[in-house]
Amino acid sequence: MTKLLAGLLILVVFQWLGESAVRLLALNIPGQLLGMILLLIVLTLNQSLLPWLETASSQLIRYIALLFVPVTTGAFFLGPEILDKLPQILAVLILSTVLAQWFMARIIKALRGADD
Amino acid sequence: MTETILQQWQLVSGTSWPVLLTLTGFAIGWWTYNRSGRASLLHPLMIATPLIYLTMEIIDLDFASYNAGNGLLNWLLGPATVALAVPLSQQMRQLPALFKPLSLALLLGGLFATLSTLLLVKLFGLSDIIMLSLAAKSVTSPIALSIVQQIGGLTGLLAVATMVTGLVGIIVAKSLFRLTGLEDERWQGLVLGVTAHAIGTAKAFESSSRCGAFATLGMGINGILTAIILPASIGLFVI
Repeated sequence: MTKLLAGLLILVVFQWLGESAVRLLALNIPGQLLGMILLLIVLTLNQSLLPWLETASSQLIRYIALLFVPVTTGAFFLGPEILDKLPQILAVLILSTVLAQWFMARIIKALRGADD
Repeated sequence: MTETILQQWQLVSGTSWPVLLTLTGFAIGWWTYNRSGRASLLHPLMIATPLIYLTMEIIDLDFASYNAGNGLLNWLLGPATVALAVPLSQQMRQLPALFKPLSLALLLGGLFATLSTLLLVKLFGLSDIIMLSLAAKSVTSPIALSIVQQIGGLTGLLAVATMVTGLVGIIVAKSLFRLTGLEDERWQGLVLGVTAHAIGTAKAFESSSRCGAFATLGMGINGILTAIILPASIGLFVI
C-alpha cells in the first residue's frame, strides 16, 4: 500500500512537472507526455526510483482499459455526420495499418541487408 | 412511475452513479474476457461499452453527465501515461546495440503509419475533424488521447479507431511477416509495437518476452515521437 501511494505520488509529481514545463515554455506537446519523457530520462540515468514505481505503474497499466471505458462509451454518442462515414473510416484504418506493417517490414529487411 | 423512482435514485446516489456504471460494466467485460481465454475480439471494452450505453439509454442518462461523473477515471489517464516510462526504461538498454537500424526503422515506420492515415483520409474525402481524430490511431491509447485532445479531434472516435487498428494489426501481422520473410522475432515485436500499440505488444509477449520487449520499445518511442511531431505539423494537412 505504501509503495502504491509512493508510486502514484511520483507519477503525479512528474505529470505536474511536465504540465508546468509545457505551460511555462509554451510547448506544443501534451503535458503528461513531457512528464513521461522526464521520468524516462531520470530512470535511465538512475534506477533508484524504480522499486517505488513498480507497483503503481504495473497496476495502472494492467487496468488501463478501465480508464478508457468513459472515452470509449463516447463513441456511441458520435453524431450522424461521423456514423455515415463509418465504412470509409474503417477502410482508412485497415489500409493504413496493413500498409504501415508492410512498409516497416521492408525497411527492416533493407536495413539489415545493408548491415549483414 | 418507474421514471420517477429512477430519477430519485440518481439524485440520492449523486455523482457515484456514473462510476458505479463504469465499474460494473468493466467488471462484466473483464470477467467475460478472462472466461473466453482472452480472445482479442472479446476485449473488456467491447463488452463493457455497449452494456453501459444500453443502460444509459434505459435510465435516460446523457453522456455529458456520465463523463463528468467519471472525472476520477479520466484524470487517472494522466498518471497512467507517465507510468509508461517504467516498462520503457527497462527496455532502453536494448537500444545501444542496435541503435542505428532500430531508430531508423522506428522513425520511418512511425512517420509512415501517421502519414498514410492522413493521406488516406484525404483520398476518401473525409472531413478535417475525422482526420484530427484518426491521426494518432497507431499510438498507444493514453498518448493518442492526449495528442487528440491537443489537436482538437473527437476522443470517442479516436478510442474506436485505436481499438480497430490494434485488432487489424494483430490479425494481419502473422501472414504479413510470412509474406515479407521477416522471421526475427525482435523485429516482429518492433513492427507490432509501432503499428498496433498495446494490443500488438500484448500479442508480442505471447510469442516471447524478447518479442514483447521490442514491442514495448517500439510502442513507447513511437508514442513520444508522434506526440512531438504531430501537433507541430498537423496544420499542414488541415485546409
